[in-house]
Amino acid sequence: MIDRRKFLTTVALGTASAAFLSACGQSSTAGQTGSAENPVTINYTWWGNDDRAERTRKAIALFESKNPDIKVNGNFTDFAGYWQKRATEAAGGGLPDVMQWDLSYLRDYGQRNQLLDLGTVKINTDAFDKSLLPSGQIRGKTYGIPTSTNAFAVYYDPAKLQSLGVAEPDGQWTYKEFNEFMLEVGQKGNGALYGGTDYTGVWWMFNIWLRQNNIQAFTDDGKLGFTKDDLKKWWNTTAELRGTPALVPEERVTQLAPKSAMGSNVTASEVTWDNFMAGYLGDSGAKELKLVPVPSDDPDNLGLFLKPSMLMVASAKTKYKDAAARFIDFMVNDPEVGQIFKTSRGVPASKTQRDGTTFEGTDKLVVDYEKSIEKYLKDAPEPPIVGFGTLEASFKRVSSELNYGKLTLDGAADSWFKEAEDLIKQNA
Amino acid sequence: MTTMATPTQPAPTKNPTAPAYNPKSESTTAKRVKSTIFHIVALALVAMVLYPAIWMISASFKPNSEIGGANNALWSNNFSFDNFITAMEGIGGVSTLTFFTNSLILAVGAVVGTVLSASISAYAFARINFPGRGLFFGMMIATLLLPFHVVIIPQYIVFQQLGLVDTYVPLLIGKFLAADAFFVFLMVQFMRGLPAELDEAARIDGAGHVRIFGSIMLPLMKPALISTSIFSFIWSWNDFLGPLLYLNTPEKYPLPLALRLFVDQTQSSDYGAMIAMSVLALLPVLVFFLVFQRYIVEGVSTQGLKG
Repeated sequence: MIDRRKFLTTVALGTASAAFLSACGQSSTAGQTGSAENPVTINYTWWGNDDRAERTRKAIALFESKNPDIKVNGNFTDFAGYWQKRATEAAGGGLPDVMQWDLSYLRDYGQRNQLLDLGTVKINTDAFDKSLLPSGQIRGKTYGIPTSTNAFAVYYDPAKLQSLGVAEPDGQWTYKEFNEFMLEVGQKGNGALYGGTDYTGVWWMFNIWLRQNNIQAFTDDGKLGFTKDDLKKWWNTTAELRGTPALVPEERVTQLAPKSAMGSNVTASEVTWDNFMAGYLGDSGAKELKLVPVPSDDPDNLGLFLKPSMLMVASAKTKYKDAAARFIDFMVNDPEVGQIFKTSRGVPASKTQRDGTTFEGTDKLVVDYEKSIEKYLKDAPEPPIVGFGTLEASFKRVSSELNYGKLTLDGAADSWFKEAEDLIKQNA
Repeated sequence: MTTMATPTQPAPTKNPTAPAYNPKSESTTAKRVKSTIFHIVALALVAMVLYPAIWMISASFKPNSEIGGANNALWSNNFSFDNFITAMEGIGGVSTLTFFTNSLILAVGAVVGTVLSASISAYAFARINFPGRGLFFGMMIATLLLPFHVVIIPQYIVFQQLGLVDTYVPLLIGKFLAADAFFVFLMVQFMRGLPAELDEAARIDGAGHVRIFGSIMLPLMKPALISTSIFSFIWSWNDFLGPLLYLNTPEKYPLPLALRLFVDQTQSSDYGAMIAMSVLALLPVLVFFLVFQRYIVEGVSTQGLKG
């Protein structure tokens, strides 16, 4: 009884303040502007490490010097804490004016009307690749502007291949050839070095394979676009390799976490996003890593696409729409901002920014890779469905159980489909 | 002959002394064996418990690429203080000293607030028979059962409306208002164990509640006060979620928030600097504990004498 009384008071208080808050939000839709003498202050928040904090500070200083009527108050946290904080702020009505955003959270917050429709403000998107913009849009409304892009690639360590006497891949390969390559590395590596990790456990690689076979992963109404047989066929791609030195054993991968197998110098190749380059180099201490396109059985259709590695969004409740829009426009388009960030956010998405940036060393490798696959690129997929993060994680988990031999192929496919369908029903 | 005799000679000489020596030595050797086994087991357990700490300290001196993953060796040939230098440089223009100061302000504030407010509330619950005491005590215990995550959002809305987000007020006000039911409960239980005759005697001598609380109860409650201080210091020092939600300006961040900034899954991670900073962050807690641990033992022993 005491519990309930206390509970009711808190709830009453919460609802009352929420109501008060939404009233506040409505009264100030016009968007206030500032002047050089009396600047407005907008809050900008991002996730990332020390390096990104330093670069962002420089970019903010540059923006403030060019726009004396706007002050930007920047703050940052780590990635995991970032989303806890945003969830609380969204519930409490206190989202910052401008935010760095991740694609997998876009639909969730966009559908709940937490984000500003950026189509209603002035942001120049002329310099953006038309295939990229839909990834920031939901039902025709633009909630996010991509700052930068990443693409899927196969990483390999040329020094390791050379010491084993394995020829470097040229990136024009079928799945069979890729598997043979990994097996050769594993056999010559003699237990110390494996070919790679089991790529069939990576959701995005599966997505690419579906695209290579002209299958949509999710239909337009948010259902699964592929069948159990497709999934089984995919998981069977590496069936012959499991238990051979081609693939690093699953328990080894678990032991190495949080580092990746490639970052720990246990494998010679890895299939993942091209902007992980700096992380892999730092973790492994390798001198050089190279990127080649993913395998495909259809040489004209690699299924590749550019995905926004991060986006810029604004809060639906911001009082300074105009200032927020000018800041976003600056962060995504300005060439000098490109010079500050290089590829640390991914390859700049806006052509103006990309062309205005000089890339060297590692940065150049990533940019050159994205240039080399340009002719294969197709439209980026729409923002993932709500709860996509859970699906992606369970895809990894189920396929690793398959790898451990705990699940049969049929059992694994059944188990993942059940989870996926339940989740889609829940969020529908 | 002599060569044969020498090896056999020592054996018989040993035997005669043995019967007199044996019964005594058997018990001492048995004791010795037992104590050796005990110490070996104890040392093995200590090694197991301390291993993570040792691993952390050794990793703080290793270059980033040699931490974790396939590298299990505790010793690295590339021993260096670079991680500590990086850690002390701070993050995004905020010096590491600032993070330490912030953590210290929060932790000391939490200790002072909790000790003051919890002891006074505990006195009221344990010694004053006010109307509704049972009900309020029950309510206080009920807040212990309420998971923190249930109140996060309502609490956030309240502080947001009061304009107190991005200040230390939301993090400290609860400590000064005895919102930590656990500590109040701990002190109530402790106070109930103190003889009521003491305050009756004081009351006969004309002392009021303030005098009884200040001159009789507080000195006797030292052990409870010390354990409360230790726990609230450590909890506040390690708190991540509270500061994460309520603080926005990096200049106000305490250490746990700063620590996470070295590890970024979406970019590169500097495990070395993070671990070096963890080592540094551990030191104040360790010192605090070592200093006050002495008082716990002291407090308990004096309490025993008087009881």
